[in-house]
Amino acid sequence: MKTISARQTGIIVFLTILANKILVLPSILYKNSKADSIFVMLALFFIEFLILLVFLKLKKNYPNQTFLSILQKKLGKIIAKTIIFVFLVFFLFKTMLTYSVLFVYLKDLVYQDEFGFLALICLIPVINHATIIGLRSMSRTFEMFYYLVVVGIVFCLAIAFFTDISTPILFVSPVSSLFASAWQGLFAFGDYLVLFIFIDRITIKKGEAKKVMLFALVGVIFVLAIFTIFYSKYQLTSFMHNNALADLLVFSVQFNAIGRLDIIAMLTIMTLGLFQLEIFLTAFCDCFVMVFSKLSIKYATAVFDILFLVIYLVLIAKYEVMISLATSILPYLAIVASYLLPILFYALSFKHKREVKDEENH
Amino acid sequence: MQKVQKQIEKLKKSFHSTNDFSSRIFVSQKGIVGFVFLKSMIDAQLFSQAVYLPIQKWQGQIDISSLINKILKNNGVEEVAESEIENNILDGKVIIFSDFFEGYISVDITKYPTRTPSEPPTSPVIQGPREGFVEDFKTNMTLLRRRLHTKDLVFSTLIVGEMSQTKVILSYIEGVADKRVIKEIETKIKNIKIDGIVDSYYILSYLQKRPNSLFKQIGNSEKPDVVASKMLEGKVAIIVDNSPIVLTVPFILMEELQSSNDYYTNHHYASLVRFIRMCGLLIAIVAPGFYLALQLFHYNILPLNFLITIADTTQGLPFTPFLEILFIFLLFQILYEVSLRLPSYLGLATSIVGALILGDTGVKAGLISPPGVIITALSKIALYTVPEQQSQITVLQVLFIILGGSLGILGIVSGFVYVVNYLNSLDDYHTPYMAPYAPRIKEDLQDGLLKRAIGANKNMPRSFPNSKGRER
Repeated sequence: MKTISARQTGIIVFLTILANKILVLPSILYKNSKADSIFVMLALFFIEFLILLVFLKLKKNYPNQTFLSILQKKLGKIIAKTIIFVFLVFFLFKTMLTYSVLFVYLKDLVYQDEFGFLALICLIPVINHATIIGLRSMSRTFEMFYYLVVVGIVFCLAIAFFTDISTPILFVSPVSSLFASAWQGLFAFGDYLVLFIFIDRITIKKGEAKKVMLFALVGVIFVLAIFTIFYSKYQLTSFMHNNALADLLVFSVQFNAIGRLDIIAMLTIMTLGLFQLEIFLTAFCDCFVMVFSKLSIKYATAVFDILFLVIYLVLIAKYEVMISLATSILPYLAIVASYLLPILFYALSFKHKREVKDEENH
Repeated sequence: MQKVQKQIEKLKKSFHSTNDFSSRIFVSQKGIVGFVFLKSMIDAQLFSQAVYLPIQKWQGQIDISSLINKILKNNGVEEVAESEIENNILDGKVIIFSDFFEGYISVDITKYPTRTPSEPPTSPVIQGPREGFVEDFKTNMTLLRRRLHTKDLVFSTLIVGEMSQTKVILSYIEGVADKRVIKEIETKIKNIKIDGIVDSYYILSYLQKRPNSLFKQIGNSEKPDVVASKMLEGKVAIIVDNSPIVLTVPFILMEELQSSNDYYTNHHYASLVRFIRMCGLLIAIVAPGFYLALQLFHYNILPLNFLITIADTTQGLPFTPFLEILFIFLLFQILYEVSLRLPSYLGLATSIVGALILGDTGVKAGLISPPGVIITALSKIALYTVPEQQSQITVLQVLFIILGGSLGILGIVSGFVYVVNYLNSLDDYHTPYMAPYAPRIKEDLQDGLLKRAIGANKNMPRSFPNSKGRER
């Protein structure tokens, strides 16, 4: 079995945390809860962090078993496959959302024209190839690029930090707006779920769980920093800036003095986007193979490509449709996949503990 | 008489009466002694002085034992079975037989033209040993043995090639090299079905798990000091007769950024040079594609003055930027191929014609732009910071020119991620290709892009398996 290390797992967690949150989300949330969106993010991150703990517990209890076999053993074949199917749909739309966010960025800021199919031609073979070669090779690539991504983000933050910024105005939104924001942002979360799918290919040795948590923490800090500096910089006009990380560089003194520094943000966002697509597609394909056990990963990628093309033509080409879907209907899916099911898994790990105890007593 | 004559005729027939097949007969008091050999493979003077004359002058009894122990006192005298006669003759040995004793004696007086070890043209050094491997495998074995003065150094010979019967020697340090790797290599070499091996490159493609891959998965060197140091780390060397290139297995990409010079110079300087090599590699691969991407899709990123320069120089060109870069690239590649194949004096003339006439006149005639020439030339020169990967990088250059020219920076980023993903999927002989960076192996980073002093490398490398290293 080709497994990945705790460090590589941590980097996957870091990359998925940044997915869908550093470009469009800050401006979407600002419309409802202004700069208080930072608190919304904090709360959602806290809940999500608990899911990571659930994963670590499950991993500890079932060190070498696949996700499907764990579920099948405890809940039976049909329920297990149904749960996996829910994940399959969840990851399909996660990939879609990630793609559409990247697509909008490319269309608005990089190519300034209709670019859809060209980007598709470019991205689809790369993410398909990454999925086929497997999680281990993919996570090695992430490991190589990790520091470059970190440097890219830090650079964007630093440039923005040295410009005219003032503290964001906090505590101005009513609680109902915060909840509305949380609902809208819900589908951008649920990132740790990929770990459940990859559970059998992850090796976490004793004491290494902290490493995974540390990477998660770095990811959370980065997202919160982007939100804070973005709101500090654009204040009331934040809702107009759809590409938060890229827009951090605009209007800065250094930006004009050194030359156009878009290239740094551009490379960081493209790399991040590609990696996130690779992770979500791999999770989708793994779910697909678990549900349709007779089909290989190559079939799964082919099915994804067809689905992607159909959904792309219907939804992503109209970016607004995809975003409104992500902020209205998809949160229901997120509630089930990211919150209810992990609670079930937590219960399973307790059940397992009780069974082990019972066996010991016998 | 009849028996010896018959045997000679039989052997001559099996060698298809080849011109260099020779035989001699010596009639003694007891009977007849026959000598058979290939005259193109032996030292004729040594034959008469050390083989024929001593037998002729010998007054005592002639039998196998006396021939080996008393008459012929050379080192390479041994009794061989009848089935081994032909192979021995092909190896350049003289076969002696008689009608009054049973059995065959082989005397090694091989002599064929060999080169003396000299500095290999592909890897010259400023400081450090200048010896290089030669085509003769025995010399190559000696060069390694001189550097690894240990009884644990093992040479194991395999014969490959139905017709060439080439000697392939596996060399490793027992107790240091990983047994699984040795076994795997041995099995792969034994399974080679081929008519002939004329160079180690033939073996290389059989040892690679993905023979169709663009990327090299087996190390190679012409320098005994490099091979010896790799063997000390636990790698297996493969010496192929008639080839001055010795292969080493397992292989990681980082080896291409390392040079033997790095180990004979200050480690701070070596780190700097490795970093420059890394930059050179990146420039070589992506520079033309990146330039095209900026020029065609992202011109707003370029600093204004640079943009004006490009606009000024590309105005009125008959080609699109994409075709222009491809054209210049093709021009450089043709000049390179020509300079490789022409004699050196003509090669110099071609370089001048290429650089001055074609380049300068092309720019003046308004066919190509100066920035295009500079970028392509830069990438072509940068390519030689890692000369071993020259063929792979050239293919990648074309790929990135197409990607940058048709998809912009997204194409470059996607292509780059694709290539790195692919490289990370290579893990021949239990060795991750991109180690020690992916996966990150902390202990081996001290001989990565940043190099620490030799004394600091206290542990065996862990990027690839070796008996002393940790099992990954």
